[in-house]
Amino acid sequence: MEFLEVVGSRRSIRWYKTWQKVPRDKIQRILEVVRLTTCPGNLQPWRAIVVERDELDEQTRDGLLGADNWQGAHTQAPVWIYWYADPDSARPESFQERTIELTDVGALPYAYGWSKEMIEAAIQRGEVVQAGGPAINELIHGMPAEVGAQVAYAETVGACACACLAAVNEGLGTSLHMIAAPSKQNRVKELLGVPERVLPVWVQLVGYPAEDPEAGGQRPRFPFETLFFEGSWGRPFPRDEEVVSQLTKERLLQDPMPKPGRFDELKFLSRMYGYPE
Amino acid sequence: MTFEKKPDIYSSVQHWMESVNARHRLSDREWEERLAVLWNFCENMGKDPDTIIKEALDERDSKLDYMRHLRRWANDQAKGPQATHELQNVIRSFFINNGARVLTKPYPDVYGRGSS
Repeated sequence: MEFLEVVGSRRSIRWYKTWQKVPRDKIQRILEVVRLTTCPGNLQPWRAIVVERDELDEQTRDGLLGADNWQGAHTQAPVWIYWYADPDSARPESFQERTIELTDVGALPYAYGWSKEMIEAAIQRGEVVQAGGPAINELIHGMPAEVGAQVAYAETVGACACACLAAVNEGLGTSLHMIAAPSKQNRVKELLGVPERVLPVWVQLVGYPAEDPEAGGQRPRFPFETLFFEGSWGRPFPRDEEVVSQLTKERLLQDPMPKPGRFDELKFLSRMYGYPE
Repeated sequence: MTFEKKPDIYSSVQHWMESVNARHRLSDREWEERLAVLWNFCENMGKDPDTIIKEALDERDSKLDYMRHLRRWANDQAKGPQATHELQNVIRSFFINNGARVLTKPYPDVYGRGSS
């Protein structure tokens, strides 16, 4: 599948084939994509635990499902990827280590003022970076300590978006669930042996869609011009209809929902799995 | 308690039918079956549909009590786990479509399908 079609075809799939296993290589391919996802300072704060539902004992399975409120999609999906952010990955010393590594391998150019000495001076002593260089002293010394955790969390969220696209690219259905209540997060950590310091981000459900992969069509989105501006806030970035037409041909833009027959499909799916209508 | 088993005199039943039909257009026969289940449940509870929904919406404990009764009642009525589940789903649908939040689960055998 071409990139634009992958993006255009992604849906939050809420009905999965419980009986169709996901080949391990496809899961690995999703994880390989995330490993190479963009990330500031190359911090790579994401961690993931892959769980195959049918490999779990009943108590663990029901504990994990209960933590997610027994949501239908979670119950059905054969693979659950629990995504976590490690705040230690975004600590100043980690940032220093990673950026020096990037300098050593030639990713961060000396031409812009990057060097091991500059990084150590900025991060360890808060020395001001010269004009033309990145103000990493402000990042490390001008912000509250909690920012590290926020960065780790935010970057892992971004990685999860890539994981979703990677799953679609593998011909799979996927969706992200959030377990928000701290007590439930802790229960999941306990069941999966996750260290206390690590932050829960998303649970990614993976499997083959039981619903049509188009899942009723593309979801309603805000009008383009209300989201994107040019030059200043509130001045819409004009949407060129020729570009829209081309993107429709390239399958980024697809039929909006609800497509005909969607509610019949939902009725059938409810009956197949035993949910009320 | 006795009550009239006419869908059009209970706003909760009307609302349920309109809400489901707006999405799924059930046939008359399907509605006959569902209504029979609802009347039976209401009779067992000794309350009419509107009263049940009002209580469930007003008091969380009352709603949970109804769900507990539902499980027991369905177990007594139906033969086998799937039939029990389907009976419960009719009443869950009645609750959900009237705005009462209730837990839904798939058929109990959902994990094992295709694994043998």
